[in-house]
Amino acid sequence: MTATRRSILQAAAGLAVLPGAALSQTRAETLRYVTGNTINTLDCTVLGSTRESFGLCMNIHDRLFKFGRKPVGDHFTFDATEITGELAAGHETTPDGMKITIRLRPDATWHDGTKVTAEDIKWSLDRIVSAKSLGPSQFQLGSMTSADQFKITGDHTIEITLPAPDKLALANLCVPYAQMFNSKLVKPHVTAEDPWGLEWTKLNTAGSGAYIVESFKPNESVILRRNDNWKFGKLPQFKRIIIQTVPEPSTRANLIEKGDADLCIDLAASDVPTVAKNGKAKVVSMPQTNGFTMLAMNTKMAPFDNVKVRQAVAAALPYEDMFQAALFGRGNKLFGADWTAAPNGTFPQAMPFKTDIAKAKQLLTEAGFPEGFKTTFAFSAGQAATAEPMAALLKEGLGKVGIQVDIQKKADAEFQTMEANKTLTFFADQPTAWLPFTDYFFRLYFTRDQRWNFSGWANKDMEDISVKARFELDPAKYEQQSKQMIDLYTANVPLITIWQPNHDAAMAKNIEGYTYQFYRLVDFRLLERT
Amino acid sequence: MHTLANIVRRVGQRFLSSIPALLGVVVVTFVLMRVMPGDPAVFFASGPNAGPQEVAEIRHQMGLDRPLPVQLALYLKDVATGNLGHSLSTGQQVSKDMAQRLPASLELTFTALFLALSLAIPLGMAAAINPGSPIDHFVRMLCTLGVCVPTFVSGLILIYVFYYLAGWAPDPTARIDIFAATPPEITGFYLIDFAMTRQWDGFQAALAQLILPASTMALFVLAPLARMTRASMLAVLGSDFIRTAHSMGLPRARIIVAYALRNALLPVLTITGIVFSTMLGANVLVEKVFSWPGVASYALDALLSADYAPVQAFVLLMASIFVGVNVVIDILYGIADPRVSVE
Repeated sequence: MTATRRSILQAAAGLAVLPGAALSQTRAETLRYVTGNTINTLDCTVLGSTRESFGLCMNIHDRLFKFGRKPVGDHFTFDATEITGELAAGHETTPDGMKITIRLRPDATWHDGTKVTAEDIKWSLDRIVSAKSLGPSQFQLGSMTSADQFKITGDHTIEITLPAPDKLALANLCVPYAQMFNSKLVKPHVTAEDPWGLEWTKLNTAGSGAYIVESFKPNESVILRRNDNWKFGKLPQFKRIIIQTVPEPSTRANLIEKGDADLCIDLAASDVPTVAKNGKAKVVSMPQTNGFTMLAMNTKMAPFDNVKVRQAVAAALPYEDMFQAALFGRGNKLFGADWTAAPNGTFPQAMPFKTDIAKAKQLLTEAGFPEGFKTTFAFSAGQAATAEPMAALLKEGLGKVGIQVDIQKKADAEFQTMEANKTLTFFADQPTAWLPFTDYFFRLYFTRDQRWNFSGWANKDMEDISVKARFELDPAKYEQQSKQMIDLYTANVPLITIWQPNHDAAMAKNIEGYTYQFYRLVDFRLLERT
Repeated sequence: MHTLANIVRRVGQRFLSSIPALLGVVVVTFVLMRVMPGDPAVFFASGPNAGPQEVAEIRHQMGLDRPLPVQLALYLKDVATGNLGHSLSTGQQVSKDMAQRLPASLELTFTALFLALSLAIPLGMAAAINPGSPIDHFVRMLCTLGVCVPTFVSGLILIYVFYYLAGWAPDPTARIDIFAATPPEITGFYLIDFAMTRQWDGFQAALAQLILPASTMALFVLAPLARMTRASMLAVLGSDFIRTAHSMGLPRARIIVAYALRNALLPVLTITGIVFSTMLGANVLVEKVFSWPGVASYALDALLSADYAPVQAFVLLMASIFVGVNVVIDILYGIADPRVSVE
C-alpha cells in the first residue's frame, strides 16, 4: 500500500510544482521537515514573526557573514568565533576596532539574476536599523543604530563606522535579522506608512539565498526549491525542502518512525528515548550551549529581595531529581560544581549550586524566616512538558525547609506579559542568546531595567563590568572580567541557572551533516542524504 | 407556491430577528478578549531583544493604544463593512484566513455528520424495533464508548492502528498528502474541487486523508443521534396510527420506513442541527491531532497568543453558522412534517 501510494504521490508531486526542473526531483532529493511550530512570515524581522520563521529566513536569504561550524561526534555545532563571508567576500577591521570595511563579491547575483550592488547592501543595512522591525533592537547590541554608520566607499565596498570597538558588530551581521535584500524589487512596494516595504516582504522574497520559496501557506507549510546558482557556500544536496506544521507531537514521532518525514527537532521529551531505542530513525542530541533553563527570583519583591533567601532556595532545590524528571537526564547540568571562585570565564557553565538542606535552613533562619514562607512558582503552558514535573519536585524540595510553594501554570501570553512587567515572584523560563559571549549573557539577562533582566536585579558592579567587558579588546582582561561577573552572580544568585536541555533532532538514518545552529532551527543547506 | 412563499418569509424573519443576537455576540467577545489576562503586544514582541518600543509599535498597529469604546466603535464599523481585521499570528487578513480554513472545517464536519447519520439512524432504528434485545445493548454500548472516549484519544488510537501499525491510512497530516498536488481553488472543498476537475487520483487521496478524522468525529456524535433516533422511534412505534397500519396489514418495511421513521425524524433533525454547530466549533482536538487546517484550531492558536481579531471573527462566524443551521433545520422540518411549516 505504502509503495503504490508513494509512487502515485511522487508523480503528483512532479505536477504540483513548476514544470521542467521539478520533474527531476525524487523523494530522495526532497527533505520533509515536520514541526509543531508555525511560520507566519517570509521576513523574520517583521514584528510578530514566529521563531520558526527565523530558520526559514536563514535558508532563503543570505547575510553578509556567517558563523563556522565545528564537529561534535558525528555531527556539528555552530562556532561563533569563526566568522567568514557569505554574501561578502571578506572584511578588514581597523586596529582600534572602530571601522569595518566589507568587500562584496563582484559576481554575486540575486534570485532574479541581477547583480548584487553596494546600493542594495547599504539599503538592506539601513533597513535593519531604521524600519519598525525587530532589527534595531538587535543591531544596537552591535553598536549599529543609525544609517549614517553605513557608507558606500566603492563599487564593491561598504564601510561600517562604530562609536566604540564593539566585538559583536560583526557577529550581528550573521544573525537571522541581518538578511540582505534586492532593493530594486522591494522599493516599488514601499508606501508612506511602510517606507521599508515590510508588508510586501512578509509574503514575497527578494533575496539571494540557497533556497527559493515555491509555495507559502502561513501556519501550514512552506515548500522550498534549491537555488542552483547559489555560490556563497557548498551547493546544498537537497533540491526540495518541505516544511510542514504538524501540531501533534506523537504524530510527528510516528511520521519520523515510518520514514514519511525526514527530520523533526521538537519531539516530545518523552518520545525521544523511545524513538532512539526503536532504531527506525536516529536521534542527534547536543546540549543547547547558547541557552539555559533558569529559575528567577524577583529581587524587587519580598522575600526574594533578601540575598540569604535566594541562597537558601539555591541550597534547597533537589537538582538531580529535577534534572531526571524534567529532561530524563538529556542535557547539560549547570549545577553541582565544586569551585568557590570561577575557574574560567565561560558562561553558562556548571555553578556551585548543590542540595544542602541544613545550609538552606540556616540561611533561612539568618534571613529571618526560620519557619519558611509562602510563595508562588509560575511557568508558561508552552513549557509545561518539562516545567511541570520540575515544579512538582521543586515544591516538594522547598517544602522540606518550610517554603510552601503554590504552582501556577499560565497561558503563554499572560505569562510573558507578567514576566515583562516584573509581576512574577518566582518562575521558570529558558532563554537562549544568539551570540553566546559571556558579556552578552550578563548584559542581557543580569543588567539594566529591561524585559530580559528576569529577576529585576540591579547591581552597580555588574553594570560597570559588563559595559567594560563589551568593549575590551585584550582577551586576558576580558577573561578576568568574565570571571568577576560569574563570581558576582554566584554570590548574589538573582536567578538559578539549572541546566541546558538537549537539542534533540530525530531524523532518517541516512541524513548526515546535521548542525546545531545558534537560532536552534534547521540549516537545510548543510544536510545530505547518503 | 404558497408553501414556498411561507418558507421565504420565515427565513427572512429569522435572519432579521438574529441580528441583535449577533451584535450582542460581537460586543461580548470583544470585551471578553480584552479583559483576558495577557497582552498581545508583549506576546508578539517576544523576540530575543524586543524592547518597549516594539511593544508600543505593535500596540499601535493593533489599535490598542486607543480608549476601549473607540476601539469597539471602530471594530463594529469594520465588521459592518466586512473587514474582520488582521491576524498577528498568521500575518494575514482574518477574512482571508477564514475563507481558506472554513471549507476545510466544513468538509470535515459534513463528512463526519454524513458518516454519523448513516450509522446512527439504522442503528437507532434497529435498537427501537427490538428494544431490550442484544442489538439494543450493542448499540447502547457502542454509543457509550463513543461518548466516553475523548476525540483526541480515539483519534490517536485510529492513527496508531491504521497508519502506524497497519499502514493503510496515509500520514495524518493536513487535507492532502504534502507530496500531492492540491486541487484548483473552486469551492475550497477538496472532494468537490477534485470531482469537478475530474482528477480522480486526487479525489482518492483527499478522501483517504479525510476518513480517519471524519470517523473520529462521527464516533463522538454517534451517541446523541442514535439515542435520539431510538427514543423517538420507540414513541412513534407505540402510537395509534402504527397499530392501525399493522391491523390494516401493511407491509412491515413500509410501516417502519414510510410511517414511523418520517414521524420520528423531527427530534433527530433538531439534534442534528445542534450537533453540527457544536462539531464545527468543538472539533479543535480532531483538527489538532490530524493537523487539519480548520477554523477551530486556528481560533485556538489565536486565543493562546491573545490574538484578538481571529478569535472575535471565529465567534461571530460560529454564531452566524448557528443561525443559518437553525434556519435550514426549520425548512427541513417543513419537508419532514408539512404540519410544522403552517405554524
